[in-house]
Amino acid sequence: MFKALLEPFRHPRPVITLAEGKIGLATGRKPKSKAKDWSGTLKRIWNYLAKRKVKLALVLFMVVLSSLLSLLGPYLVGVAVDDFLEGTGGKLWGVFLIGLSLVYIFNSLTSWLQNIWMIEIAQETVYRMRTELFSHLIKLPISFFNRRQQGEIMSRLTNDIENISSTFNSSAIQIFSSILTLVGTVSVMLWLSPILTLLTFIVVPLMAFGMRWITRRTGPLFKERQKNMGELNGYIEETLSGQRIIKAFSQEERVITGFRERNERIMLSGYWAQAISGFIPKLMNGLNNLSFAIVAGVGGILAINGSITVGVIIVFVEYTRQFTRPLNDLANQWNSLLSAIAGAERVFEVLDEETEAKDEGAAKTLETVEGEVEFSGVSFSYDEAGDTLQDISFMAKPGEMIALVGPTGAGKTTVIGLLSRFYNPHKGQITIDGHDITSIRRESLRGHMAFVLQDTFLFKGSIRDNIRYGRLDATDEEVEEAAKLANAHSFIMRMPDGYERMLATDGSGISQGQKQLLAIARAILADPAMLILDEATSSIDTVTEIKIQEGLQALMKGRTSFVIAHRLNTIRSADRILVLQGGHLLQQGSHAELLRQGGLYSELVAGGAK
Amino acid sequence: MSLISAYLKKYRVAAVAALVMMLIELAVELSQPLLISKIIDEGIKGRDPSVVWMWGGVLIGSALIAFIAGILSSFFASHTSQGFAFDLRDKLYERVQSFTYEIFNRFAASSLITRLTSDVSQLQDTIFMSLRFMTRVPLVVMGSVIMALVVHVKLGLILTLTVPVLAVFLYWVMKRASLLFRNVQARLDGVNGVIQENLTGIRLIRVFVRMSHEIGRFAGFSENLMRTTISALRLTETTMPFILLIVNAGILAVLWFGRLEISTGDATLGETIAVINYSLRTIGALSALSWIVVTFSRARASLQRIEDVFAEGTSIPDTSSSSEKTSLIHSKPIQGRVEFVKVGFCYPGSDISVLENISFTVSPGERVAIMGSTGSGKSSLVGLIPRLYEENSGAIRIDEIDTREMDISRLRHAIGYVPQEVLLFTGTVRENIAWGDENATLEQIQKAAVAAQIHETIQGLPDGYETKLGQRGVNLSGGQKQRLTIARALVRNPSILILDDSTSALDAVTEGALLEALKEMSCTTFLITQKISSTASADLILLLDEGRLIGSGNHKELMVSSELYRTIYKSQLGEEVQHV
Repeated sequence: MFKALLEPFRHPRPVITLAEGKIGLATGRKPKSKAKDWSGTLKRIWNYLAKRKVKLALVLFMVVLSSLLSLLGPYLVGVAVDDFLEGTGGKLWGVFLIGLSLVYIFNSLTSWLQNIWMIEIAQETVYRMRTELFSHLIKLPISFFNRRQQGEIMSRLTNDIENISSTFNSSAIQIFSSILTLVGTVSVMLWLSPILTLLTFIVVPLMAFGMRWITRRTGPLFKERQKNMGELNGYIEETLSGQRIIKAFSQEERVITGFRERNERIMLSGYWAQAISGFIPKLMNGLNNLSFAIVAGVGGILAINGSITVGVIIVFVEYTRQFTRPLNDLANQWNSLLSAIAGAERVFEVLDEETEAKDEGAAKTLETVEGEVEFSGVSFSYDEAGDTLQDISFMAKPGEMIALVGPTGAGKTTVIGLLSRFYNPHKGQITIDGHDITSIRRESLRGHMAFVLQDTFLFKGSIRDNIRYGRLDATDEEVEEAAKLANAHSFIMRMPDGYERMLATDGSGISQGQKQLLAIARAILADPAMLILDEATSSIDTVTEIKIQEGLQALMKGRTSFVIAHRLNTIRSADRILVLQGGHLLQQGSHAELLRQGGLYSELVAGGAK
Repeated sequence: MSLISAYLKKYRVAAVAALVMMLIELAVELSQPLLISKIIDEGIKGRDPSVVWMWGGVLIGSALIAFIAGILSSFFASHTSQGFAFDLRDKLYERVQSFTYEIFNRFAASSLITRLTSDVSQLQDTIFMSLRFMTRVPLVVMGSVIMALVVHVKLGLILTLTVPVLAVFLYWVMKRASLLFRNVQARLDGVNGVIQENLTGIRLIRVFVRMSHEIGRFAGFSENLMRTTISALRLTETTMPFILLIVNAGILAVLWFGRLEISTGDATLGETIAVINYSLRTIGALSALSWIVVTFSRARASLQRIEDVFAEGTSIPDTSSSSEKTSLIHSKPIQGRVEFVKVGFCYPGSDISVLENISFTVSPGERVAIMGSTGSGKSSLVGLIPRLYEENSGAIRIDEIDTREMDISRLRHAIGYVPQEVLLFTGTVRENIAWGDENATLEQIQKAAVAAQIHETIQGLPDGYETKLGQRGVNLSGGQKQRLTIARALVRNPSILILDDSTSALDAVTEGALLEALKEMSCTTFLITQKISSTASADLILLLDEGRLIGSGNHKELMVSSELYRTIYKSQLGEEVQHV
């Protein structure tokens, strides 16, 4: 028993390099990250809040009112002690009590109203930010998503917004009311008894000193703990994603030992970090008790001398408690406010990204499209440095199949990007049925195209809904018709719930080839005049590819198709093959023509180079 | 909850000590109003400074005791909670490692990471806080009521009357709040789900021009979230004003009756003030309540997630009846004869059969090539051999013994496995190869590297076999990494080698050299491949389609019997010619 009691003190003492601690009320929890442009970010947050200006003003009014009322309550109790309890005089006792009860009722009412209203303002604001961010994000150019990690964007939409939300809910009001309460208490205390006030202020330097002592130690300890936690995280991640190997090699014992070593390191640094940071509330309590003792002891002597009344002691007892609490609150709330501002800044960064340019005012909508595509003298570069595409000219008649080949970086995907207007050419023009595509509304243009990409994306939902994504108003019969054409119907019918089978976002439960068939069905349902297959079969093995060829044939029939493929055998039947290298169109013609010509194409065919 | 008490048991002395320390603090705080009433009644009213000095001294002394107790409690509580977290994490990880691969896959790796880290930390923080603050709330309320009754029974009763009102109200709020917050969480998950989906599918959404459809969908989810959040927070934010109102009403009553009692001499001024002070302390303690509710509901969710892991069954038990047989078999090394007898398999929880009625036999040292489209069951077939999964029907026999009757670690020690996805661990090249066999000498490691066609590459690295790999180390190409994982399997000197599409990044020459080297190692080899070049020399080719064996035999036989095999052969013919 006694041994067990000593256990906590047997942990080896860590070597702490004291942090350059600032004197302050930091609680060991540092803001997650610092904002760069304070005033700018605050101004923008304000712009969101300003939409509810009247309600916000009401909230602020309520905060002032409730802070005043919560000061008045204890003061009136002090008055009651002096005027009504101590002496038996005072004829207005009833009136006084009614007054006091009104103060209490309004105190509850105002603090209730301020919270209720603030929650509405905060949640509406967060809702607006969230939807605005989302609708902005979804319109950003594809290049934005290429530049960034999905997890990072995700974190802005979730963590950062959540952070702002919780800060709006509580911290914003609390900081304001803490400051008011602090100023209010100190002034009333000074007014009632300057000597007693100064004496109770002895605790302030003690608090600053104690806090500095603690935070200089906890800072490095928490950092150490964070580092150990990071290592453990990395270890878990590695061993869990390598689980198949660990099992197959039966190495469980070894990784368990490795885990235990890291786990022990966390426990040790965690123990000291938690124990020492746990001093903070105890210090606060201790100082509270100390000031209580001072008020009671010194106040008692002063009361005997007659320089203050008993009521003043009562007021002081309550006020000193109200005075240390906001100090502590402020430190906490301040940190969370800082991290919320930093979060808001990250949100605004996304909002500041430019979306795809708006369509020109006179842009038109094409009702029907034949599918005649012409590139004439098209040049384009992603940046100013060098041209990605130079002087590309070719023509595709309705219903033709055009294949794009060439080594990686030749500009194949860029041609497609220009055709679908993810980017605009710097020189030259692209026409569809003779219309310059810059004069066509983007939505209308893309509405006449369908894409089958390398990574097929499936939504969480039924197979039917996933196919219907190609045309939202398609009937069930049309969906099934498209699936039949795509050669997908038979495998769908073999699934337990058929078309109603639910798919997960990652598409688990169906094979890569089946996914691709669903994507083809989706494209068939969209029934576009133009079709783009960007490496549609390259993530599929040869056997699967043979199986989905039929579906692809059905899809391409009667549509102008652009096909990028790195397996040359799949494009031999193309009407025209465009051979690209370094942004130049080197050759174009059918398979037979190009082979006869010699040059890069026959090299590609012979050398198998990519 | 039983989980928590089970893990706390080891630290009960420290936990109790922490609670005792907290009680000491509490006692000091609760004595304060009593002492101040003495100062007022005996000191100020009695005009006796010595009484004031004495009680003032007692207050300072007790404040010091409380402070020391508080500091000590910090150590005890930290020891308890950190020890608890260490044990829990340790056992949890052991549990995860003891899962069969099948059960392991029921959890997403990311969710297991969360459970092992933040969920455990959440519980740890809650325990730490419970030992220091949370248990305080009810104790302060109870203590204040009792002390108020001790000071003055009649006036104390008024404070006592407010308690049941508060208790009923708080119980109702907590019950409703936890329901509402669960709703909020569900809605939040919905919103995040839509975001996730849109980020992944952004290209598709763009090209199908479904932006406004998606924005509308998102706005719907988002609005739902807003509404539930507002209603949940509205409830919790009503708590404090209400508590304030009730207790303040109590104070009014104490003032009213206090004056009456004082005038009749039944109570003193000090006593009345003390009762008021106790009421105010109740408010102070209860103000921490909403925070406690939130912390506890989070902790409960974390606990649930951790319990889920413990609730899952562990490894396939090595059937006890076969223990005798195993010890008998132990002496004999595994030769590598593999036989599948009418094997059928579907993933647990799924009704789609992945493998159906697969039968074949391989003699020791032979090479089997497995071909088939993605999803045809190739990886599942080889995964059954080291018992990563368990077949549903039929049997797999190695050296004529059913694998289910073999000691699982003996079975796995005889197998070298190279998975489809390249997976190396943080550490040096040597450590990564030696991962296959901890006791391997450098010579053995080099021999494996030579066979895996990676020895020369390694010697070209800055520190040779001691070169660090991974995030802060050298980056190898895909093909080089693949050969390292092959070396890792070869160093075990396996009787059975499984290459799950692990030669895809190798060029034809290297692959040829590797296959040549494997011949010399004379282990039974299963090779999943797409290349005709590597099937041509195999002793047996298995052609799989949707889980069925649609062709088996050697290259010549299949060219005659299988239409599909001929098609594949033709489609790769061009490429074959290029390699020559």
